[in-house]
Amino acid sequence: MYLTETQLQVRDMARAFADEVIRPAAEALDRDERFPAEIYDEMAKLGLFGIGVPESMGGPGFDTLTYAVVMEELSRGYASVADQCGLLELISTLLVRHGTDAQRKLLPEILAMRRKVAYCITEPEAGTDVSGIRTTAERDGDGWVLNGGKIWIHNAPVADLGFVLARTDKDAGNRGMSIFVVDLHAAGVERGPKEHKMGQRASQVGALTFTDVRLGADAMLGEPGRGFHMMMSVLDKGRVGIAALAVGIGQAGLEAALDYAGTRKQFGKQIVEFQGVQWLLADMAKDIEAARLLVHSAASRIDNGQDATKACSMAKCFAGDMAVARTADAVQVFGGSGYIRGFEVERLYRDAKITQIYEGTNQIQRMIIARELLKKGAQA
Amino acid sequence: MKLLVPVKRVIDYNVKARVKADGSGVDLANVKMSMNPFDEIAVEEAIRLKEKGVAEEVIAVSIGVKQAAETLRTALAMGADRAILVTATDDVQQDIEPLAVAKILAAVAKAEGTELIIAGKQAIDNDMNATGQMLAALLGWAQATFASKLEIDGGKAKVTREVDGGLQTIAVALPAVVTADLRLNEPRYASLPNIMKAKKKPLEEKTAADYGVDVSPRLEVVSVREPEGRKAGIKVGSVDELVGKLKEAGVI
Repeated sequence: MYLTETQLQVRDMARAFADEVIRPAAEALDRDERFPAEIYDEMAKLGLFGIGVPESMGGPGFDTLTYAVVMEELSRGYASVADQCGLLELISTLLVRHGTDAQRKLLPEILAMRRKVAYCITEPEAGTDVSGIRTTAERDGDGWVLNGGKIWIHNAPVADLGFVLARTDKDAGNRGMSIFVVDLHAAGVERGPKEHKMGQRASQVGALTFTDVRLGADAMLGEPGRGFHMMMSVLDKGRVGIAALAVGIGQAGLEAALDYAGTRKQFGKQIVEFQGVQWLLADMAKDIEAARLLVHSAASRIDNGQDATKACSMAKCFAGDMAVARTADAVQVFGGSGYIRGFEVERLYRDAKITQIYEGTNQIQRMIIARELLKKGAQA
Repeated sequence: MKLLVPVKRVIDYNVKARVKADGSGVDLANVKMSMNPFDEIAVEEAIRLKEKGVAEEVIAVSIGVKQAAETLRTALAMGADRAILVTATDDVQQDIEPLAVAKILAAVAKAEGTELIIAGKQAIDNDMNATGQMLAALLGWAQATFASKLEIDGGKAKVTREVDGGLQTIAVALPAVVTADLRLNEPRYASLPNIMKAKKKPLEEKTAADYGVDVSPRLEVVSVREPEGRKAGIKVGSVDELVGKLKEAGVI
C-alpha cells in the first residue's frame, strides 16, 4: 500500500467515524431531508473540515491525497455529509490562497460551522458554462452593489456567508468576474425555497436572489477580475473530491451487496453461490478499485505540482459513471428489496446520479480530456 | 503524577481471524492490526485524568515488534504526551507473554517514576488477562482490575469494578495498577490536527535487552483451531415432538 502511516491513520479514523456516526444516520437524514448540524459539529471538532488548511492558519495541513481518502470514507457513510466536507475544503482553499488577513480570520468560524458557507456560482443561464453569469457587482463609493440571482446553491437555505461570483466588468469576458464574500443575512438577500432532490437529500440546496445588496470595500476576495481564474484554480481539487465521493458511494454499495448476497437464499442456496451474482460483485469491486486508483493518482499529481487537469477530469468522469453503474448493480443484487425505500442501496443509487452532473458534467469532463489529448498528445 | 499506559498491537477486531495451515496460531501476516480496544479505553481514561489536572503526563508504552510504533502513534494522536517502543522480537507471529511484558513494564515504571498504570484488562488476541495482575505483583503495588469507574482522590484510587452479578467499589492506595473494562469510557476519535501533531511527539526506542528481560516463551502452543461451524438444525412436526426432543437433549 502506497499510503503513508499517517494517511492510513487518518483513513481509519474517518472510517470509524463514518461507520459509527454517519452511516447509521443516513437513512433518516435522506428521508427527512434534514441538515445534520449535530454530525457537522462533531466533524468540526475532529478537524474534518478544512483538511488542507496549513498548520500556520490553524488547520491540520494535509495534502490532497489525504483529503481524497477522507472524502471516500465520509461518503461511504453518507454522500451528503462528504459533500459538506468538500464544500468547506474549496472555500477554505480559496481563503487560504486568495484571502486578505481579515478574510482569513473568518476561517475558524467557518470550519467550526458556526458560520455556514455557500459557494455561489451557478445561474439559470450559467451552469457548466460559467462565462454566462449575469449577476453584477457595480462600484459604489469604496464598495460595490450586488444584483442578480443564483440557483441550485448548496447550503443556500441555511448559509450565513456566500462566496459569490459576479461580473465586475461587462466587457472583459472571463477576466471580468470577481468573487465577493457576502453576508447572506444582509438587506436585499432573498432565499428561494429548498429544492427537493432525487438524492443527497440532506444537502440543502436552493436559490439566492440579490437586490441592491451593499458590499463593503473589504468584500472582494483576491484581485478584481480574477474570480473566474480563482474558481478554476480550485476546480482540480474539487473534482478529485467529488470523484472520491463517488468511489465512497460505490464502496458502500459493494459492502451492502456482498453482505446481502451471503444471506439471501434462493433455490436452496445463498445467492452469492450463483456465478451470475458473483460476476456482478466482481465487476463492482474492480471498477471501484480502478476509480479509486484514478482518484489517488490525480490527487498525487496535484500534490506533486504536476499538471493534473486531465487526470482530475478522468477521475471525476470515471468515478461518477462507475458509481451510477455499480450502485445499479448493487440494487440488482438486492432484487426487489433494492427498489424499496429504507434499503441502503436504493438510496445509494439515487445519491450516485448527481456525481455525473455536479462539479462539471461528465460530458464536459470528456471535452476536457479530449482537449488535453489534442493539445498535449496521448502520453500519460 | 505521571501515568503509564501499556498498549498492545493486536489483530483488528473487524478482521476475521484465520488459523495458519499448520495449526500453530492465527495468521498475522498482511493482516490489519490495531490497538487492543481495552487499551484504547485505558488511554482515554489516562487522557481524561490529565485533562482534569490529576495527571501531568501520559506515557504510552508498547512491547512487541517495531511496527507497534503505529499503535503508539494512535495513542499519541488521542492525546498521550510521549511514547516508548520496546522492541522484543522481529517476528510478527511471536506473542510476548504476559510475564515478560509485566517485567519490562515494571522496569519502565520504575525508570519513569510513575504512580499509576492504567492497562486494558486483557488483549483481544490471546485473552490472557494476566499482565496487569503480574505487573502489580512485580512492583508490589495495589491492583484494581475490571474498572468501570475510576476516581483519584488524595493518594487513593477509588475504583468501581465489574464483578459477577454486580459492582464492587474499592479504594486502593497509590501507586497502583488499574485495568480497564469495557464500560469505563468511550474512547475519542483522534482529530486530524492531533494526528498531525502526534508525528512530532517524542517516541523513544528501546529493546527488551535494555531492561535485561528474557522474552523467550515459557508457554508452548500445542494447537490452535477455528471454532466449529454451527451444526444444521432439525425441523419438528409438532409441539409434542419438540418437547420430546428437548427432553432427549436434557434441556428440559
